[in-house]
Amino acid sequence: ARRAGGPFANPEERKLSLLDPQRIAFLLRKQWTLYSVTPLYRFSNAHLRNYSRLLSAFIAAERQKGWAVEVGVELDIKVAVSSLPDLKGSDQDHAAILVELFSRSPASQKTSEEKLIWSGWFCSVCGDDFFENMPEDFTCLPLFLTNGAESYTAIVGSWFQKTFDCCFHRLAISPLNLSWMAAMWTGCKVDKTASAMELIFSVPGLLQPLDISYAIHPEDAKALWDTVQKTPGEITQEEVDIFMDCLYSHFHRHFKIRLSAAKLVKVSTAIASAHCDGIIKVSLGPEIGVLAVVWTGRLLCPLAETQA
Amino acid sequence: MDEIVAEYIRRTVLKIPRDEIKTVLQKWGFLSEAQLQTINFCQIKENISQDVVQLCEENSAGVKQAAVLDIIYNHIYSNKRVWSVYQMNKTGEETDFFDVTDFKKKFKRRLQSALTNVTINFREYEDNAIWIRIAWGTPYTKPNQYKTSYVVYHSQTPYVFISVSVLKRNLPLLCQALVAASNYHDIHEMELRSHSLNSLKDIVFKRYSQNFQSYYPRPIQERNVGPENSRIIQENRNEKERIQRVNSEVFGDGPQPKLEFARYKLETMFKSDPQMNVLNKKEPFRCLVKFSSPHLLESLKSLAPVGMADAPLSPLLTCIPHKARNYFKIKEKKGVSPRSFVSP
Repeated sequence: ARRAGGPFANPEERKLSLLDPQRIAFLLRKQWTLYSVTPLYRFSNAHLRNYSRLLSAFIAAERQKGWAVEVGVELDIKVAVSSLPDLKGSDQDHAAILVELFSRSPASQKTSEEKLIWSGWFCSVCGDDFFENMPEDFTCLPLFLTNGAESYTAIVGSWFQKTFDCCFHRLAISPLNLSWMAAMWTGCKVDKTASAMELIFSVPGLLQPLDISYAIHPEDAKALWDTVQKTPGEITQEEVDIFMDCLYSHFHRHFKIRLSAAKLVKVSTAIASAHCDGIIKVSLGPEIGVLAVVWTGRLLCPLAETQA
Repeated sequence: MDEIVAEYIRRTVLKIPRDEIKTVLQKWGFLSEAQLQTINFCQIKENISQDVVQLCEENSAGVKQAAVLDIIYNHIYSNKRVWSVYQMNKTGEETDFFDVTDFKKKFKRRLQSALTNVTINFREYEDNAIWIRIAWGTPYTKPNQYKTSYVVYHSQTPYVFISVSVLKRNLPLLCQALVAASNYHDIHEMELRSHSLNSLKDIVFKRYSQNFQSYYPRPIQERNVGPENSRIIQENRNEKERIQRVNSEVFGDGPQPKLEFARYKLETMFKSDPQMNVLNKKEPFRCLVKFSSPHLLESLKSLAPVGMADAPLSPLLTCIPHKARNYFKIKEKKGVSPRSFVSP
């Protein structure tokens, strides 16, 4: 059995509810690709301005080498690295670090019109017992989320790798973790216009591929989850299993197909959605949205640590 | 030649794969063989289309010719559109002699009396199929040749296949015109949709291979499972063969009609093992299930043999061709025991 928070179940989460919605608005309604990161060597919050400059220069140099992303228009890329002190799972966690790439076309250089073209943020939401054996010079920010062109992700990633001797790996989300997310998010109260809870499966190994979308009315899904979850604020593996088994057996009753043998590829609720290729999107916010990320992070952080 | 017509012809040609342009133009027959010889079909499509337009200019092509080219394109590449099936009903037993000219006249008259700004073109094919192309305008604007609907009517049957795409509000008008022209009483939409027009025809005309009950149980030796190796023992041989046999009975042995999706709106009760002490509501558990595949029925047929499903598969799925539908709304059967439950 594992513990994961229900809404505002513990003090850290109550703190999150006090987060400035403006600061975390960047998080919402965007698709984030997930990576696991090994600890960063000699990273310091005091040098964020420096890092912005160095990364800027690095990008400019790479573009000189011919790595240009945009053909034609010469874009000026500005980097901003900042800290989000309140965005973390517990006091032990390191504050989240946000990296943003802005573009400014030469035409609008007079005005300071900047367009956000890429963002990525490192975060740690692992909880207290995670940091026991962390050596001194290392900063642990095991989860990296990116939004924007793959080419920028590659370049930012390679700068961090060179500078802090860390490694990035795409993070896959297993059907087990997807089920957790489905259960957690279904349990949240949402308004009447909420979208359905949808599970998307793909059946591997067939000559003609088959995709199955199984969408449940959000009120009915929540009603089912509420009868399964025994303690508010706490979710166990057993409860998630029962919840999924109920859905699988309802499906089997109608179609005689064993969904548990299919591959769960994506789960989607009104709050957030997650894809097995390591992509999440948070729809509602601000507090619920941030919580969705924190819970996801909690699920994935230990995972990130072992995969990296 | 009208600029709009020229552009329309040019865009239609661009849609065709390069290697097939010549054949399509020949089917069209508007440009002579001699004219076609002057076109270099090995150049890039942009240039081919320009050459075609040039020749059409020489022949003074108008909207009608452009429309016919469009029908031919859609007839060959019908799987680029989604087709819905409609069924018309007659009261009484009379089978009127079908007069194509009369049909076309009545259809045009009915449609144009309600909406003057429409372009209507017909083309007949060998299998008694009448293709109708309608370009829609509004009471205030000329017909837009890019806003089209297509109708395929098989005169010997009550079935009509319609691809509407945009402007669904014109659908009732279209249906009325069809009913009036074909001397039927009314028309309703069947819950059957697909990109594959031929598969839809197979299903409603029952042209796919139906399952035949075989009373000759095939001896085990006939089922060839590859080279015999005495050291390999098939553990589930009996079960495997039972699955094959049941699948055969339910799906038939021939190729399945090609559908891409099936959708089920479920409003049945959630039932669980009472011991589990979970949800026990009096209201239905509302779900929407969508199956999709490049070839749905073949895909479903292969589920039991790979162990993903029971054999026989649920009648909700296997009834698709027989019931000629792929959109379903399933409610709980009233007053029946939970075991035997819903009918599609």
